[in-house]
Amino acid sequence: MSSGTPPSEEPQKAEAKPLNCPHCGAAITLRALGQAVVVVCEGCRSILDAQDPQLKILQTFQKAMASDPPLIPLGSRGKIRGAEYEVIGVQRRSIKVEGIRYLWHEYVLFNPYKGFRYLTEFQGHWNDVVVCKDQPIVDARLSIPLEANYLGEIYQHFQTADANSDFVLGEFPWQVRVGDQARLTDYIHPPRVLSREKTGSEITWSIGEYVYGQDLWNTFHLPGSPPEAMGVYENQPSPVGADVKAIWVVCGAFLICLLALMIGFEMQSKKENVFSVRYHLGSGDPTGEASFVTDVFELSGRTSDVQVTTWSDLQNTWIDVNYALINVDTGRAWDFGREISFYSGYDSDGAWSEGNRTDQVTVPSVPSGRYYLRIEPEVEPLHPPIEYTVELQRDVPVYSFYGIGFLALILPMAAVTWRSFSFERSRWSESDHPPSPIFTSSEDDS
Amino acid sequence: MIRMIYLVYGILVLAAVGAAEFRGWSLDSMSTVNNVPKSVRDNPGSYRSVYSSYHHYTGGK
Repeated sequence: MSSGTPPSEEPQKAEAKPLNCPHCGAAITLRALGQAVVVVCEGCRSILDAQDPQLKILQTFQKAMASDPPLIPLGSRGKIRGAEYEVIGVQRRSIKVEGIRYLWHEYVLFNPYKGFRYLTEFQGHWNDVVVCKDQPIVDARLSIPLEANYLGEIYQHFQTADANSDFVLGEFPWQVRVGDQARLTDYIHPPRVLSREKTGSEITWSIGEYVYGQDLWNTFHLPGSPPEAMGVYENQPSPVGADVKAIWVVCGAFLICLLALMIGFEMQSKKENVFSVRYHLGSGDPTGEASFVTDVFELSGRTSDVQVTTWSDLQNTWIDVNYALINVDTGRAWDFGREISFYSGYDSDGAWSEGNRTDQVTVPSVPSGRYYLRIEPEVEPLHPPIEYTVELQRDVPVYSFYGIGFLALILPMAAVTWRSFSFERSRWSESDHPPSPIFTSSEDDS
Repeated sequence: MIRMIYLVYGILVLAAVGAAEFRGWSLDSMSTVNNVPKSVRDNPGSYRSVYSSYHHYTGGK
């Protein structure tokens, strides 16, 4: 393929050789002179022997491809993996699965120093394909092995089908004919696909990698935009990344950190009992001004929370306690009201109860200093005697934050996992190994 | 990419939980009032709680 000193990898058009089609007389340019085996006339679609100086006609083909022109025109040039390639041929192939015909295009690319490579396109999904240099390892005992090992990477069997060449144009490095048939077997390891093509007794393995249409449009400087990719293709990379398990590992690490955080704060928080007083409201109390203030107490340490707990012995009544935690020196107050109620009894369903005799509230970010509580109880006019206790604790962990943190860490993971799961289901639903349905309706069962 | 985004997001979540605990934040809602007069200690009735007109539960089954 190469000779002497290695020349530049960017070929000049001087390699092209002008000829005429012996069928229609149209000019034919051989771009891969000496490498192409056949060339297809762009005028009459006759397939000619590119290695014969007279361009012997191998096959004539009358149907034009006007309704389905190649997306990348012959002669387009672009750099792929550092080498400039020219599009020299295109064929349209098809398979029939369950009565439905699926079409795709294969473009032949040529660089005189690198040889041939191929681009395939199916419904807007593209692959950059080269012939395998090593033979993949498969279990030869099976007619269709379910796995293939190529360069240490395991590929899963996706689909086996018989393909037909419907249309060819340009130059090809093999004896292509319209109507050629081959048995194709695809193995996938997204974003790569390993393809086995069997024609007669000849077997060719090729390896492809998913590429995005827009990247090819940029590479070949094509006008407009590529056709939109439809559905999920066999080796299309998952949009949530290939390794959901790795993200779960990160999530697990975060959950351990969250647990460590909880244990750490649980151990270092003071949970200091600052104040605890029991109060009594006799039947009919209060008769005058209900509000009163507590003794002054000290809240020490860094700015942290204060938990106010109200205990009571309520029975079929309620008490509403309006609190104000007031800083003696600054005059700043945290004002909050708490309602406690407890009802119980018996009815035809048995014993019942509603409400709770205990209430807890956390006052946020209270700086250290001297404080007192203003307490204003409210009760219904005719109430039984009520005992209630007010208790203050300084620097108490708020476990709700860990619950919120847990959900905040888990929910995105659940969404990512579901997205990945549904993407993979869509992928494999097009294969020879479709996943079983998640839900079956009762109508199907009947 | 998603792994990196989740990594940053998770660190932010942990930092937020840590900050909430360290700074003593709370999920309970309450009002703050500034410059409460010192006379409230002697005359608690002179202070009106913003919750004093709170709706009371009068039910039971």
